[in-house]
Amino acid sequence: MQPSPVQCPECGAPAPFRGAAISLVCEYCGSTVVRTGVDLRLVGKVSALLDNGSPILLGSTGKLDALPFELVGRLQLRHGRGTWNEWFVNFADGTIGWLADAQGSYSLLRPRDKSIVAGKVPPFARLELGQPIVIQGVPHVLVERRAATYQGAEGLLPFEAEPGLEFFSADLRGHDGEFVTLDYGEAGDHQRPTLYTGRAVDLGGIGLQPLRRFAGWRA
Amino acid sequence: MTLEPTKKLFRDEAQAESIKCLGCGGPITLHSFGAVQRVICPHCGSALAPADSGALALLEAATRKHQDSVLPLHARGTLDGVEWEIIGICWRRCVVEGVAYPWQEFLLFNPYRGFRWLIHSNTDGHWTLGANLDGAPEILETRHQRVRFKKRRYKHFQGANAVVTYVEGEFTWEVHVGDRADANDFIDPPHGLSIEQSSGPDGAELNFTIQQHIDAKAVWKAFARPGKPPKTRGVGALQPNPWRRHRAQIWLSFLVFLFLHAFLSKRLEDSRKPHTVIEEKNLAFDESISRELTIGREGERTAIEFHFSPDPLDNTWAYAEVMLINIATEQAVAFGVEASYYHGMDDGEYWSEGHGRGAVTIGGFEGGKYLLQIQTQRDTTSLGGGPFFIGATRHPTSYGIELVEDVYLTRYSGLALLVIFGVPMFGGLMGWIFERRRWRNSDYAPGGG
Repeated sequence: MQPSPVQCPECGAPAPFRGAAISLVCEYCGSTVVRTGVDLRLVGKVSALLDNGSPILLGSTGKLDALPFELVGRLQLRHGRGTWNEWFVNFADGTIGWLADAQGSYSLLRPRDKSIVAGKVPPFARLELGQPIVIQGVPHVLVERRAATYQGAEGLLPFEAEPGLEFFSADLRGHDGEFVTLDYGEAGDHQRPTLYTGRAVDLGGIGLQPLRRFAGWRA
Repeated sequence: MTLEPTKKLFRDEAQAESIKCLGCGGPITLHSFGAVQRVICPHCGSALAPADSGALALLEAATRKHQDSVLPLHARGTLDGVEWEIIGICWRRCVVEGVAYPWQEFLLFNPYRGFRWLIHSNTDGHWTLGANLDGAPEILETRHQRVRFKKRRYKHFQGANAVVTYVEGEFTWEVHVGDRADANDFIDPPHGLSIEQSSGPDGAELNFTIQQHIDAKAVWKAFARPGKPPKTRGVGALQPNPWRRHRAQIWLSFLVFLFLHAFLSKRLEDSRKPHTVIEEKNLAFDESISRELTIGREGERTAIEFHFSPDPLDNTWAYAEVMLINIATEQAVAFGVEASYYHGMDDGEYWSEGHGRGAVTIGGFEGGKYLLQIQTQRDTTSLGGGPFFIGATRHPTSYGIELVEDVYLTRYSGLALLVIFGVPMFGGLMGWIFERRRWRNSDYAPGGG
């Protein structure tokens, strides 16, 4: 990796921004640093990440369908039933994705063009569990809708995540294992959510390494 | 300025935590490394939940007694090469027509693999292993409700309202004694798919679980339990049908045997050289005959066929009492041959029965010199008869005989054919009975609700 020319405005440690990253949590002082053009702006300290038992580590690498990737950031989110992690995935070809990590279930999603679903899906408030929604001609079922807040973060993120900010999203699943997330952002009263599509994965299947160590268990 | 890198997060080995229950003060060890939402004290049943600080907070104090489950909390077992630990136990039951059907659910945990469910039915002793479905089943609108997921189709088996009756350990959701959920089970043995809808203070939740039958002995062995598992009764909902598991092989071997049989019978038949030992015609019917003849070869066995042809034979029967006496040993073989022929018109339809000849085959017949004696009988109740017309009776006046040796015995070949057809038919019947026993426990039980 090239030495980063920029430093954390708080403690002066290197702030290794790269790729599509907009914000970075300084690994030395825990400050969130936001990149705006060539300037860096200090947002403040994020709340600590909660240990929710995830076996995934920042900086782990793996492969999705032979394409190598690295987990360069983590966003931890909280909803009514606890916390889950969204790992910011940087693929070797420069594209990005998210590895959702919730209570031992994993799925790897990639952002798609908003216009695919714009105006074709209901606003967040009108989503109902079990509701069938067709996405790109494929029938899906709405399995979860939630309001979540940003709990904490580490590493790089492609946007500025302010702790405590609430946002709305929904998960849909298909009859052949398809997985879709509709991200409505901070307001749920529109029909232009960000679309993410992908599928469920297991850690062995994507060859994620290294993994966290747990006393009494072998990876 | 030199910077000391802070210790990187989560790089140290995670440890199981030991705490004291805030309800009863009893020791609790946490084995899930923080991945759970609820901890229910195994001793007193108090509910604890992780607070933001990471410490556990008391949500609800309880004073229930600990109860033993069929498998204990924190037991470890290896299933399909993956090690699992029981971190939570939840007893549930449903009530159908006033009868309670209880079961015990064991939440299995592996920090790298997530969670699974091991479910034990107290009613029939069978076990299933469940996991979250990576997707949503498609509800197929058919007469008998079915769902589909990834090319597998599942039939609706039963629906019930399940209630939680006992909990202990760690859970990934906010579990409560008294929680209710509507569960519908669909089956494609040994696989199953369960749809559960529960309502909590957080709103409704829709859960899909994929399940698989697991042998009681395999569970006992995996968790290294002493003694024997609780006895299983009847057929488990997802128990594989042993008669159907090998259906393809049974039918394939059926075809192979059928082909082999046809080939061997043909070979065997071709190896026979049947030839006539004696043939006589126009013997007066009342006349008994006695002939000396040689059948086969001395010291060898052969198969013989005896034909009896009375003439004429119309709407009556004739019978020959045949005796073959071995001249050397004076051993006799006696048999009867009957011939009959009936025909007529009924409501303008012509019918007939019998073909006017009788034949008897005898296998394993000792070769040698024989004395053949024949006595004939016929229906004497209406001798004389009337004018000839269809339906009139004509009694035999003469008869012919023929004795053939080295004939091919179709009866053994027929017996083999019976076995060849019998095996798959028996398998099919047993498979059907097995399925009936399975479905007896469903919402579609014959004669039941």
